[in-house]
Amino acid sequence: MSLIKLTGITKRYRMGDETVFALDHVSMAVEPSEFVAIVGPSGSGKSTLMNIIGCLDAPDEGEYILDGENVSALPDRELAILRNRKIGFVFQHFNLLGKLSAFENVELPLIYQGVRSASRKEMVTEVMEKVGLTARLKHRPNQLSGGQQQRVAIARALVTRPSLILADEPTGNLDSKSGREVMDTFHHLHKMGNTILLITHNNRIAAEAQRMLSIQDGKVTCPEDYLSMEREAERRQTSGTDKEVRGA
Amino acid sequence: MKLWQAIKMAFKAIASNKMRAFLTMLGIIIGVLSVTVLIAIGQGSTVQITERITALGTNIITVQNRAVRQVRLELKDLESLRGKGAVNCVAPLITSSMTLKAGTNTYTAQVQGTTEGYDIIRGYGIQRGRFITASDVHGRSYVCVVGVTVADELFGQRNVVGEKIRINGMQYSIVGLFEEMGTDVGASQDECVAIPFTNAQRSFRNTAITTFYANAYGEEYVDQAVKTLEAFMLDKTGNEEYYAVTSQTQLLESMAEVSNTLSLMLGGIAAISLLVGGIGIMNIMLVSVSERTREIGIRKAIGARRTDIMMQFIIEAIVLSVFGGLVGILLAWFSCTTIAPRIGVAMVMSSQVAFLALLFSVFIGVLFGSYPAAKASRLLPIDALRYE
Repeated sequence: MSLIKLTGITKRYRMGDETVFALDHVSMAVEPSEFVAIVGPSGSGKSTLMNIIGCLDAPDEGEYILDGENVSALPDRELAILRNRKIGFVFQHFNLLGKLSAFENVELPLIYQGVRSASRKEMVTEVMEKVGLTARLKHRPNQLSGGQQQRVAIARALVTRPSLILADEPTGNLDSKSGREVMDTFHHLHKMGNTILLITHNNRIAAEAQRMLSIQDGKVTCPEDYLSMEREAERRQTSGTDKEVRGA
Repeated sequence: MKLWQAIKMAFKAIASNKMRAFLTMLGIIIGVLSVTVLIAIGQGSTVQITERITALGTNIITVQNRAVRQVRLELKDLESLRGKGAVNCVAPLITSSMTLKAGTNTYTAQVQGTTEGYDIIRGYGIQRGRFITASDVHGRSYVCVVGVTVADELFGQRNVVGEKIRINGMQYSIVGLFEEMGTDVGASQDECVAIPFTNAQRSFRNTAITTFYANAYGEEYVDQAVKTLEAFMLDKTGNEEYYAVTSQTQLLESMAEVSNTLSLMLGGIAAISLLVGGIGIMNIMLVSVSERTREIGIRKAIGARRTDIMMQFIIEAIVLSVFGGLVGILLAWFSCTTIAPRIGVAMVMSSQVAFLALLFSVFIGVLFGSYPAAKASRLLPIDALRYE
């Protein structure tokens, strides 16, 4: 059974008089223990897709089944519980709480779960070992490097042992070395059996995944199409620059 | 999420912005402080008034004849009241300010025309000699009883029984000296001279009895004696409007009522400042919610439910207001025990008022915290995450 199954997911936005399809009848599936990358340029609808898969937003149409449960019909409260237990988010901007230490940040999802303090401590310590940050437990996010912050965020995503790790541009704000470290962490987690869904606009990073899907104008397509489209776009851009140069 | 966790979270959030938390609390601190202090001052003055009136004696009944023109009271009417029902002593009182002379010394004092028993009713002690007797009154003896100040002023000493003074041109011999009373219980007998009622009537050219005093056989019979006197006066005047019978207890009660109303009013005015403090909390909480929109988004993304967010902000508001309330009560207690005695203000702080003020500040926290908290909890996670 698929971990994630989207069927005909549609999300529309009204922009003035126009209706824009952020997602246009998207159907896709992710199997357990898979490492899937969704690649697409900005404005392609990948953030909307991520929000829907992450249960942060509800689709206008279509059916979303997460771990055998139909999510599209769930009320707010249930969605919060689902996010807490089944999904681990890793964001581009890390999204750590600046006033809490690394330990407290990682502990937070467990607090919302109602886990007792002693077992929280155990679980946090364990997951911090996995991401290699045992020495940084008491540091605040602003005392950590970008790569370390992202690893804290990964630890926070992992601590609840979620069914799915949802990473939105996790290397977008990192230098290549830290980005490499983060990607290595993801590979490590994948090997240990975690399901990872990576959303990015970077083809090189997407290529590291087991499987790659691309999204363009709210439609999920096969990667080859996307690559050719990107080449097309690049060519257009270069010629555009040429024109500008000539014009100047 | 457990309540304890939510409280810990609130403390953490408050601790991370101490200056702002202090300024927010200041409104509540001032509010609670002023409510408790003002009520304490009100209650302090109630206690003080009660003490003073009780010191005058509670077994005193004052009867006033308000219709002197229509209804005449005679001395023999009053004499008929003695021993009637629960009434023990009865004594009329007419006063006039007059100049006293002894040799070349003069002193202006209040001259009181009364009968035997007046000293008993009012609780005046006689340190030398005796008070006016029934035979003095009926025989119109030219005798008087003087207060210590009068003795000091006219004779420069207090061994004055047997001395003679002139009052309004008539010579009186001093038969007694009142005990020294001091001046802290209001009007003092130290500056007065008592003479037989019958002489006073002639001397003052005033024969009407407008006021007389009575007492009961014991404190517990005062109400009964009041009834007897009321019945007598109604019988005499035929109109309830024409007289007033007041016991000291009634006076005490009405005084206490007045000062209670006063302290309630003061407390009410101060409560407005508490309300303003509450609005201050709401204001800051609203700012805090919009400042922490992103934080709310993150918390929601990692699994905080609406109730968790709601609870977090409400508890923060309650913690702020309760903390402010506690500091306010502490300051009030400090000013009651340390400042008040130094500046000579009577303040009585009751634990009841302190508890109520604290309860009220919790209520304010809930009241003014719930709108910002609801606002925070309703934020959509995607909007909150996108917020910069």
